[in-house]
Amino acid sequence: MIYFYDGSKEAFLTAFLIAFSDDDAVLTSGNKQIGLGQQTVFVRADKARARRAEERFLQLDKKSMHDLDTLLRSGAENKDTVAYQYMKMIAARGMPVREMLAEDAICAAAECMRRVGFEVHRMLGFLRFIESASGALYAPVSPDNDICDLLVPHFRARLPEYPFLIHDVKRKKAAVYDGKNTFTAPLASAEVVLSADEAAWQNLWKQYYRSVNIPSRERLRQMRGYMPVRYWKFMPEKSP
Amino acid sequence: MISEEKLKILTESAKYDVSCSSSGSGRKNGGGMGNGFAAGCCHSFTPDGRCISLLKILLSNDCIFRCKYCPSRADADVPRTTATPEEICGLVMDFYKRNYIEGLFLSSAVHISPDHTMEQLLLTVKKLRTEYRFFGYIHLKGIPHADESLVREAAKYADRMSYNIELPSERSLKLLAPQKSKESVLAPMRQLQREAKIFKEEGRKGHFLPAGQTTQMIIGASPEPDGQILRLTESLYRKTGLKRVYYSSYVPVVHDSLLPDVAAGAMREHRLYQADWLLRFYGFSVEEIVEEDGNLSLEHDPKCSWALRNLHLFPVEVNTAPLEMLLRVPGIGARSAYKIMEARKYTRLTFDDLKKMKIAMKNARHFITAGGKYCGGASMRGWLAPAERTGVQMSIFEYQAAQSALTGEL
Repeated sequence: MIYFYDGSKEAFLTAFLIAFSDDDAVLTSGNKQIGLGQQTVFVRADKARARRAEERFLQLDKKSMHDLDTLLRSGAENKDTVAYQYMKMIAARGMPVREMLAEDAICAAAECMRRVGFEVHRMLGFLRFIESASGALYAPVSPDNDICDLLVPHFRARLPEYPFLIHDVKRKKAAVYDGKNTFTAPLASAEVVLSADEAAWQNLWKQYYRSVNIPSRERLRQMRGYMPVRYWKFMPEKSP
Repeated sequence: MISEEKLKILTESAKYDVSCSSSGSGRKNGGGMGNGFAAGCCHSFTPDGRCISLLKILLSNDCIFRCKYCPSRADADVPRTTATPEEICGLVMDFYKRNYIEGLFLSSAVHISPDHTMEQLLLTVKKLRTEYRFFGYIHLKGIPHADESLVREAAKYADRMSYNIELPSERSLKLLAPQKSKESVLAPMRQLQREAKIFKEEGRKGHFLPAGQTTQMIIGASPEPDGQILRLTESLYRKTGLKRVYYSSYVPVVHDSLLPDVAAGAMREHRLYQADWLLRFYGFSVEEIVEEDGNLSLEHDPKCSWALRNLHLFPVEVNTAPLEMLLRVPGIGARSAYKIMEARKYTRLTFDDLKKMKIAMKNARHFITAGGKYCGGASMRGWLAPAERTGVQMSIFEYQAAQSALTGEL
């Protein structure tokens, strides 16, 4: 049986309970090719059941909900299966399983979580703010994983006096710090009026980037390894 | 706002400094802009493969010193400029706000006098911390021969300070950087080490170089062998308490009869860093890595070379070997060693398990058994005894030899 759910944690946990006794269960939140004769179910989040599942998981492994949250943020196509197998393993063993790295399910989950965490770390460096005329900062991003709200605490701690908005243009949502509170909201597109000096600072940054390079030691492969091309889109030093 | 031309000159004069790390300081935001990010953060990468973490810039490139290897030396015909502390502060604040940089790495040519230069550097970082309320990372280069009190004061505002040793022996320093001496570099390092210790013991408020001290050596401009360089490195870590030693393979930007005309190999620099890591994170001592008058093999990495000299210790069984021994297996890094430690608590690991865990087996398989099974074998001989190719030590007077070190592809 294929269990469709909306990608949220609550719906996942509800689907998890429903699918638990089904040995051939496949969970999915995306577009799934359905084979002939395969049965499908659409699972809607059931708050009470989800909470029950959550409480049970937390008894077995205090960090299990954190792991699940991370896994569901993944942009990998098989993330639902990975998350399902991982959570099933916790339920089956009745204890934390994250160190059992020789198990296929754990190995896959660890890799998936590592990718999400690594992208968060990368984005803390690669994200670029644009200063708007009002002084608020705007940063467009299009990460592989659904992480834009995870970036907020870092910038809030270092730029407490600047309201900012991190816009995931791929998922059409934004994580916002308004100077006091943080929240996320759907956002299809944004128009930003640049501050008077913004273009000049961007030019100085481009100048710096050109000057600090040592041309006689060109290692483009290494540069692209550390900073994959897909992240260049919103970096002034990498746009013409 | 600083002009593009000035920024260009002051950056191009600073770019041969290798250090760009922003880790080690957890400075909190105290109502202004910025904080320390202890893990460090890379903001961009340049086409030469290096990361940009800090705004690496000189306050002035107008130098009274005449170090042979330096593009800013007094007798070089290059455009000269000096920035004001305000220009630097403005640049840092607006770059930081846009998340271009993690902080500032400020250095300077010796402008007018060592004391004057150190005063200007101090003034800049003090302004940045107190007037501009900047709490991000600051790495400040120390100027040799500057007054002790200036050094002490600067350490209150910077997260990290560094004095560059530049050349790995007093003799080379005399030859190539006649106005610097080993003592002029080591004395302030020891002073800072002493004062940091007192600061900590007395539990004083504020900060005193939370990210410690580092230094840098140029490799391949002078004839010291790797063994000598690494002994110096080890003593700097153990006795002077340094956090990092950086190696910079020599790039011939300046032509001088005392300097080689070709760049030192990138591979040599790479091997030195590998050896450096073995000293800091893998429990090796320098005697195990290389003899005093010897060089590191360019063929095998230093851990592998060590293992080949100590074959009687191998193979080790991954299911039972202690962590210290796992860390000594060629191809197994710290991450892999810890993964193995975790996973083997639950099952007896096989080679398939190791592969699944993405442990790099290319080198490791020759040195381990998994569940009693050995997977190296047949190809081991050929792999262990490659064609006789020895790294050639560059001598500053032997250009023939130096040619073969080009690009490190030996």
